[in-house]
Amino acid sequence: MNEYQIKDYAGKLAKGFLRNPLTAVLGAFLLIVGYLALEIMPREEDPQIAISGGAIIVPMPGASPSEIENIVIDPLERKLREIKGIEHIYGMAMDNVAIVNVMYYIGENREDSNLKLYDKVMQNVDVMPKGVMQPIVKPFDIDIDIPIMTIAFYPKGESNITEVELLTKVQRLQHKINGIESVAKTTIRGSHKAQYNIEVDLGKLSAYNLSLGQIMKAVQSVAVDVPDVKGRTGSNQLVIFGVENAIESVGDVGNLIVAQYMDSPVYLKDVAKVTEGIDIQNFQDAFVSQREEGDAAKMGASVKQITMSIAKLAGTNAVFVAEDVLEVLKENDAQLTEAGIGYLVTRNYGERANEAVNELMSHLVITIIIIAVMLVFALGWKESLIVTFTVPAILAITLFIAYLSGQTINRITLFAFLLSLGLLVDAAIIVIENIHRHLHSHGVDDRTMDELLIEATDEIGAPTNIATLAIILTMVPMAFVGGMMGSFMKPIPYNVPVALLASLVIAYIFTPYLSRKLLKKPEHHHGHSADGADDIAKEGEQK
Amino acid sequence: MKKFENFVHLILEQPSKKKLVIILTALAFFGSLMMFPTQLVLAKMLPGKSDNTFSVYIDTPSGSSVQQTDKVSQCVIGMLQQEKEVKNLELFLGQGIPLDYAGLVKGAGMKQSENVAEISVNLTDKHHRDEPSFLMVQRLRPIVKERCEQIVAGSAIKFIEQPAGPPTMASIVLEVHGDDLDEVRKISLKAANILAKTDGLVDVDIMADEIYKKYELVPDKEKIARSGMSVDQVNNIIYLAFEGMVIAHKNSKDAINQIPIFLILDAKTKELESNKFEVLRSKLASLNLMNEKGMMVPMSEVVTIREADSKPMIMHKDLSRMVNVIAETDMVSQLYPLLDARTKITEEFAGEYSVTKEPGMNTYMFDLHLQNLKTGKKYLLRWDGEMKVSLDTFRDLGGAFIAALILIFLLLVVYYKSFALSGIILLGSFLSLIGVILGHWVANLFTDETFFLTATSLIGFIALMGISSRNSLLLIDFAKSLMVEHGLEKRRAIAIAAATRAKPILLTAVAIILGSALLASDPIFGGLGVALISGTVAAVFVSLLFIPVLMDNAKAMDFEPVADPEHENISITR
Repeated sequence: MNEYQIKDYAGKLAKGFLRNPLTAVLGAFLLIVGYLALEIMPREEDPQIAISGGAIIVPMPGASPSEIENIVIDPLERKLREIKGIEHIYGMAMDNVAIVNVMYYIGENREDSNLKLYDKVMQNVDVMPKGVMQPIVKPFDIDIDIPIMTIAFYPKGESNITEVELLTKVQRLQHKINGIESVAKTTIRGSHKAQYNIEVDLGKLSAYNLSLGQIMKAVQSVAVDVPDVKGRTGSNQLVIFGVENAIESVGDVGNLIVAQYMDSPVYLKDVAKVTEGIDIQNFQDAFVSQREEGDAAKMGASVKQITMSIAKLAGTNAVFVAEDVLEVLKENDAQLTEAGIGYLVTRNYGERANEAVNELMSHLVITIIIIAVMLVFALGWKESLIVTFTVPAILAITLFIAYLSGQTINRITLFAFLLSLGLLVDAAIIVIENIHRHLHSHGVDDRTMDELLIEATDEIGAPTNIATLAIILTMVPMAFVGGMMGSFMKPIPYNVPVALLASLVIAYIFTPYLSRKLLKKPEHHHGHSADGADDIAKEGEQK
Repeated sequence: MKKFENFVHLILEQPSKKKLVIILTALAFFGSLMMFPTQLVLAKMLPGKSDNTFSVYIDTPSGSSVQQTDKVSQCVIGMLQQEKEVKNLELFLGQGIPLDYAGLVKGAGMKQSENVAEISVNLTDKHHRDEPSFLMVQRLRPIVKERCEQIVAGSAIKFIEQPAGPPTMASIVLEVHGDDLDEVRKISLKAANILAKTDGLVDVDIMADEIYKKYELVPDKEKIARSGMSVDQVNNIIYLAFEGMVIAHKNSKDAINQIPIFLILDAKTKELESNKFEVLRSKLASLNLMNEKGMMVPMSEVVTIREADSKPMIMHKDLSRMVNVIAETDMVSQLYPLLDARTKITEEFAGEYSVTKEPGMNTYMFDLHLQNLKTGKKYLLRWDGEMKVSLDTFRDLGGAFIAALILIFLLLVVYYKSFALSGIILLGSFLSLIGVILGHWVANLFTDETFFLTATSLIGFIALMGISSRNSLLLIDFAKSLMVEHGLEKRRAIAIAAATRAKPILLTAVAIILGSALLASDPIFGGLGVALISGTVAAVFVSLLFIPVLMDNAKAMDFEPVADPEHENISITR
């Protein structure tokens, strides 16, 4: 027989690596790199969608909606139309305030968009109508705005901790949590701040012939902080003396003299109830209700709570951040219990992301096993083993490349892997099937194993390349799908082509290599023609 | 294998059987396509997913107090607490829950008024729970709404599920555009009523402030000036008395924050016995102002009280005035209720308005243009929300699909240098659509809920094209090499190729089917799983039976042994 002429890259790769001692090293290296990528890559449940946009808030006290529409919203909207890349502008004219929301097209660069918005508003500050307050530009920021964790803090059982104390404790904890690596923004909801309340009795006010304005002025006149004062002696030495604040406690407020009435002073506490309390004007409240411990059938009553929400920096691992936060909570557990504060984690995206990723990972593994078992029956266990090895190797390469390109592991990435799983064993199956057929066909006795393997690989090289290229081509246009859905499923067109290319290379390198190690030329080839493939080939040759 | 080879050969030998294969394939193809208009297979962008959490939005009418809102919320909480699967729940009064994906585009972050509340509900883990969250929401929605919405008339309670895909404002958003605000309100009210009566639509709401009665205090400028005061002073005192103001701050050593000093009338004295005109007047009479000379002037002397309607918010979208009517779907696709509602809107508005449809094909193709027959004013009813996103997505995916078709075709033409052969492969890969549609129909029969053809099904279909073109490719390549290198007769070569390639084709098909089996049970990727499984089955039949017939018919397959084969562009149909 003549020496086989290699026609395709398939054969070249097979030949190059068939007897190379580094092939095994390469295999091990790929697996390790893939495993590292799997561990290090940030995990999240849903992929990041770059939504850019923002709100412009223009307060204009005392203006009615139609006034605001005419003098603020309309001109502002017209100006915003000048910005390129804006998809929709939503204007809202309300009593006293104008809000204009701007949505950019999905995928617009966020920093640029924010800058353009701010720039446009600030450029036109001079044409703002009179009576309008400074406009506020608030860009949306999904990473920062969507918290990955929320924790509800509530007074436990019989604890009589006040809302202000609760807030103080939670704020101290917030400070610690903000110190954790990759934690971005933390906010507190449902809290009530300490406040001195002066509740004036209207009846007494008129009895003393006083007005609200007088009371206001009386309080304002004493509630001032004075810095230390420097005096000088004759020898130019400094003498420093401070003036104590007039109001140091709530009692001081009550003891303010607001007026003279019939020659006797009228104290503030005479006409008003002065208390140290919470901000009563704040109508926002939060409650939590949970299953009581040990009593799964009954829900506990709603109790007031403060929710702390924690967001992470873009591109960081939600799982790690959530774990770190829980760690901090645990450290402060004793302190909180002592103060009579209980807490409940009401949202944990880190955990959810981890669960979603792990669930899909196990699906992936189960699927690989099922395919391996199927191949044992169809091809034999050695062949099955070879194909099964190629799968983790391919996934490892894909994962590593995804990691290098700054992607995250999320539902859609794993879904891309599951989708490609059925496709990427193809190349290996086609190669191993052809090797199998060649080994069991006529005239193998006078040819070397190496030659057979290379020929078998090379033979199907061209059509397999084209076919794989065809599948890759179907995926490529998906990268250009626009809108929310388009960026939601971006991981598919990014990862499937990579996986398919990897599947080709791996199939050409490792399938012949492992076949040489594991498979042998059959001694009695006639007995092995179980499927009759060689009979067909034989028949074909005879005709 | 020998049997299969003879079987294929037999078909190729007899023109009648070849015709039969082609006719059967064509029948199956058009039969499956007919499943769309007959609604045997329903389309939706993404199905619902079972989650461990959902939220409830409560909106009492504008102008309601936080106490009224609380009352409605407590009713909802009371009912949710009865649910065994509810692990914990949080109520946020006067504000939204900490922002999540659903709230992102629904404007939850902006909520800051007394008439709103949001409840976030955490359920037990979905793996240990029998009832998926979307079924639970479906079950709770009517009973909760029935019992709690009536506590404060005009309240709206909405159940919000976490979106399976990208978030949208609502499943169905109907924008009513027009310049005449009153008429826009009227039209949106009418449209909302129609939507509410449409099957499958729930949580219908008009995104506009209700108009309620309020009193306007008009400062009498002349009197104020003559009593030696300023309008500013009057305004401030009114605000100070009833809303209160922070008038000073105190710094504290131990508190984290500054302590504000807040001045207000005490609750007892500022309380109004009723919302009657006289009550407000007498209350104002007891509120005194001090003028420059130190004399007291009652507030009621310098302001006149007037009854007025509240002025609702004016919404703009892209510089045109509009009101949003939103609705959620109850476990059904948005498309079918939308079409129902649209027909009904066309009918019901026909008396007063001339209704015209949006001309041409675009993703706003369901829009309706109204023109008032009397005044000639024009209005636009535009559908937005998830529907629009779906249409955009299906359009883009369709575009991607066509682009993929063209790319594959060009690749094949480069490889085979024949249009006919490339056409055969392309046609074959297109036919896997039969399997995709049939698969969804079967899956729908076997599941309790509707199994939708989704965007992921389309992705699966696009991937399938690659897979089935791979099958055909290997087949043609093998037959070609048999003819060129071994000089076999065309039909025999095709039959042998089909039989030899049957094994790897089947193996890869089984690999794909098994690989997708776990996907099929996933709520979101189920469409993809089913598409891959059933499409692959169809692809196997197509590549092993239909493709050989086409190959036999194609003159481009007439390869001469060793000699350079001729290439001709011949139509593949006979």
